[in-house]
Formats: sequence, C-alpha cells, structure tokens
Amino acid sequence: MGAPVCLEYRIEGNDFMVAGAASNNIKNTLKMLGIASDICRRVAIITYESEINLVIHAGGGILQAIISEDHVDLVAKDEGPGIPDISKAMIEGYSTATEEAREMGFGAGMGLPNIKRNCDEFDIESTIGKGTTLKCVVYFPQN
Amino acid sequence: MLHSVKISREACQGCVNCIKVCPVEAIRVVDGEISIMGELCIDCGECLRSCHRQALGIEEDDWNRIKESSRVTLIPDPVFFSQFSHYNDPAQLVDVLQSLDFNLLIDELEEAFDLCSYASAQMISRTPASQLPLISSYCPSVLRLIQSRFPELLPRVVHVCSPLELAADLWRMRTNTTAPVTLLAPCSSKITMKREPQGREQSPIEQAVTVRRVARSIMASNVSPAPSHTPRERNGRWVQWARRGGEAKHIQAFSDKKLTMLAVSGMRNTLDVLQELELGRLRSVDFIECRICDTGCVGGIGTADSRFLANLRLNNMKTNWEITPKDLRRVEGLYAMDFWMVTKEFSPRPRLPLSDNVADAMVKLQQMKEIYSGLPHIDCGSCGRPSCQAMAEEIVRGHGSVTDCIFKLREGISSLANKIVTLSESQPQTLKRRGGSN
Repeated sequence: MGAPVCLEYRIEGNDFMVAGAASNNIKNTLKMLGIASDICRRVAIITYESEINLVIHAGGGILQAIISEDHVDLVAKDEGPGIPDISKAMIEGYSTATEEAREMGFGAGMGLPNIKRNCDEFDIESTIGKGTTLKCVVYFPQN
Repeated sequence: MLHSVKISREACQGCVNCIKVCPVEAIRVVDGEISIMGELCIDCGECLRSCHRQALGIEEDDWNRIKESSRVTLIPDPVFFSQFSHYNDPAQLVDVLQSLDFNLLIDELEEAFDLCSYASAQMISRTPASQLPLISSYCPSVLRLIQSRFPELLPRVVHVCSPLELAADLWRMRTNTTAPVTLLAPCSSKITMKREPQGREQSPIEQAVTVRRVARSIMASNVSPAPSHTPRERNGRWVQWARRGGEAKHIQAFSDKKLTMLAVSGMRNTLDVLQELELGRLRSVDFIECRICDTGCVGGIGTADSRFLANLRLNNMKTNWEITPKDLRRVEGLYAMDFWMVTKEFSPRPRLPLSDNVADAMVKLQQMKEIYSGLPHIDCGSCGRPSCQAMAEEIVRGHGSVTDCIFKLREGISSLANKIVTLSESQPQTLKRRGGSN
C-alpha cells in the first residue's frame, strides 16, 4: 500500500473566473493514475460544485483530495457564515446565493444535491458563524 | 494512429513554437529532432500555423498527378465555394469545373448534407431530455478530442457518418463504379478522416488534397463561366456548413420543433464547452456544434483565402432554408436505407496512465511531484517539452533526465564548479607548512 497522494488547493472567495481549475487538476491526476473515466467524471462534478460553493457562499476555503489505492477522500473546508438549515440546503433548487452569483449563472441550488448524487459517502457539518466542512468519499471499483 | 502533419527535419530549427501551441501537448523535440506523439495528436493544425520555417506541412496527395488522369471525380468541402472572389454562385463554379473536365459530386453532396441534418434532427427528437445535448460528429478533430480528453461524452456524439463520405457512398451506389474519388479538404483533420476513418471500417474516399492547392490551380487556369448558360438553381444550404452555425441551422430546418443549439468554434471555445458539458452544466441545450478552427471550417489551415472574406461571401450567398415536400420525400427515402449510420462505435482513446497498477502509478505520481517541485516552473520549452509538468511526467515515464532542464543543468555545473574551487584550495599534507599559516 503506497502513501496516499494528497492534493490541496486554496480557493479564493468571489473569484468566479478561476473556479474549476482545481477540479480539473484533480481529474487529470486521477486519469494519470489510470482510474476509470466515469469515476473521474463523478469526482470532477463533486469537486467543481464544492469549488463553486466555496467561491459564492463561503468567501473561499480549502479543497483537498486525498487519493488512496481504492478510494478518494474529498474535503471542502471553509470559515464562512455556515449553513443554517442543512436539510433545506439539500433540496434541489433551494439557494441562498447572492444576486451577483445568480447573474453569473451560479447558485441555482443544485450544488449540494448534485454532490450527494455523485459520491458514495457524504457528510456535512456546519456551525453558524464558524464555517462548514464537507466530506465525501468515492470508491474505485476493482476491475 | 495515422496523421496528416508532415515534418521536414531539415527545415526544423528547433524553435519550440509548435510545442507551445499544441493544445494536447503532443509535440516533443528530443535530440534536436521534432516528433509528434501519435496517440495524442488530434490533427487540429495549430502547430502548422505556428511554424515560420515551413518545417511542418500537410500530408496530401499529389494534385498534379491526380488532375492528369481523365475525368477526375471530386468531393469539394463546402469551404471550396467560398474561396473565389469572381465566381459568386456555387452553380457557376460547378460549371467552370465541369468545363475543366472534373466530375463534381454536387447533387450527391446536396443530398448527403440534407440526409445528415435530417438524421441528426431525428436523433435529437428521439433522445430523452436527460441525455441531451447531442454533439456534432462533423469536425474530425473535435471527435478525436472527445475520444482522448472527454471519453464520457462519446455516447452523446451523433452516430452519423460524415456527409462528405456519404456523398461518395451515394455516388458509388448509383453508378456502381470503382473510379477513385478525391476529397478537397480544408484542413489536415479531414485528410486524416480519409486516412484513418472513424465510425467505419474503410473510407469511400481514395485521395485527398487541400482546398488551397486546387483553388489556386483553378485560379491559375483562368477559365471564365459560359455567359449564355444559366446554371441550375441550387438550395445552397449545405455550403453554409463551412461557417460556424451552418450545421445547426441546417438541422433546425429539418426539425419540427424549435431547437436550442450552441455553435462554437476555435480551440479554446471547444475545450470550454466540452468541459462545461462534462460537468453537467449545459442543461436545456439540444445540440452542440463544435469546430476546432476559428470561425468554422473557413478558418481551416488548408484554405486559400482569408477566413473573414470567405465568411462574408457565404453570408452574402443566397440560401434557401425552406424544405420542399420533394426534398423531404427524397431525404426520407435515403434515411430509410440506413447506410448513413456509423458502423463502428467511436472508441475512447484515453491517455496512458503512469502505470497499469494504481499503487505503482501512485508511487510514480509522488516522484513526479518531487521532480516538478525542483523545476523552475516557467515552461520555457528549452527541454523540448511543452511544460515543466510534462517534463516531470516524461522523466517518471523513463524518457529523459532532470539535466534536460537548462536551469537544472546550470545548477549542476555551478555546484561542480564550487567543488572544484574547494578542491583546488586544499593542499597535500606534506606541503601544508610551506603554505604559511601552519
């Protein structure tokens, strides 16, 4: 068992133009490791949505991907305002995005449900005023 | 993997311009020799545009030899009709070519493009909304890009053969001849389509030359169209495929309902739209038309005239988008014959991983990260690779060493020089007293 590969990115808040770079990088790394392309796509969707969430809601944060031999752990951590009602945030179409974010085409309220749909394990913790930590796991099927 | 980019090793000065512009990072200069990694190249022609020394060219058949043979059968790409300032009407140009004893498959092309649009429109209407948008398969470079970079999108590519090839199929079916067919291609990518067909076992086209070569040869021949003769009225719909959006418009003409379609051209736009689609962010779009060349096929590397002028001419051309009941009957008849569909699946061509084994690949990835962190990160290209990242990857794959990097080499020389200075200052034990201090 080799040491896990750890990728970490600092995502800046409100910087819409660069959102997507980290998720692209994570996807390319997985492809280099020979991970099946549909898994790469699922991870890309999760990381991209997390990145967007960090940009529009949290004022930035850290996105981590820890790749082991049979799975990848994805963590998005921020010190933003926190989510008051997680169950509400999980409903498709529900969004607290700012008008500016919506004008840019983001904040359609699909982020969290989309993340949950694409991962195998999903965990979200949030404290008002302190921040949110999202943890996801995607397993690589053995061929 | 066959390609249509030709390298002239004598002309190449190793300037690395091509390495820097290649969007798929497929070019290397190793031991002073330029090489293209066949498994990565998508024949987009960007390297050809960047080469100022004509070291890169398009591999095409010999037009001078082809035109010598009697009654040459030509399949002109739609772009061909936008290249002449003095033949404003495609029908006029057809007359000119016929007077030069070329057999132009113009009727077949008209039908094949109609058939393609009809088939695509049918496919869009039958696909459930969740699996839309579909992607055009017309630009061979886009198809190759999807195969290598976005393999998950392959099921969305419309399974329709290229209309240029379908025109040749139609002609063969009708005339039952085996005479060779020559494609007038606007780019290296469509020449590759003939050399290495996608979606079918064998291409019905035998030879391919660039539009530039043929257009210039016709201009040089100075033939003017017969003034008395009135050429046959043509709808000209298919000629619009040379411009961005032409295909989308043609498909719309054959669709019962209003379709939402995106038409993008240029490498950056194509990459962006495919990436957005992969991330599932293009909902409520029905069809995406992508062209690797800026402004569409008129921007192809093998064209003769300015893409802006060509675009303008096509814009001014009379086009009849109205589908008559006769057109519809004809296209439905062809559609029922089923020969338009791809017979071989578009297969993914993913990039080779660092190793077959995940654990092994992870070890290599760590090594790659370490090597990369020691490199200067300025992507200068002096090592013959497009970026420091690509260099680190090649070292781990066993092609090259860290000293290929000019900065690492200088660091090595500097530390060696320091060692030499230190060594030169040390004296043998027997001479130390004469040195003064001891």
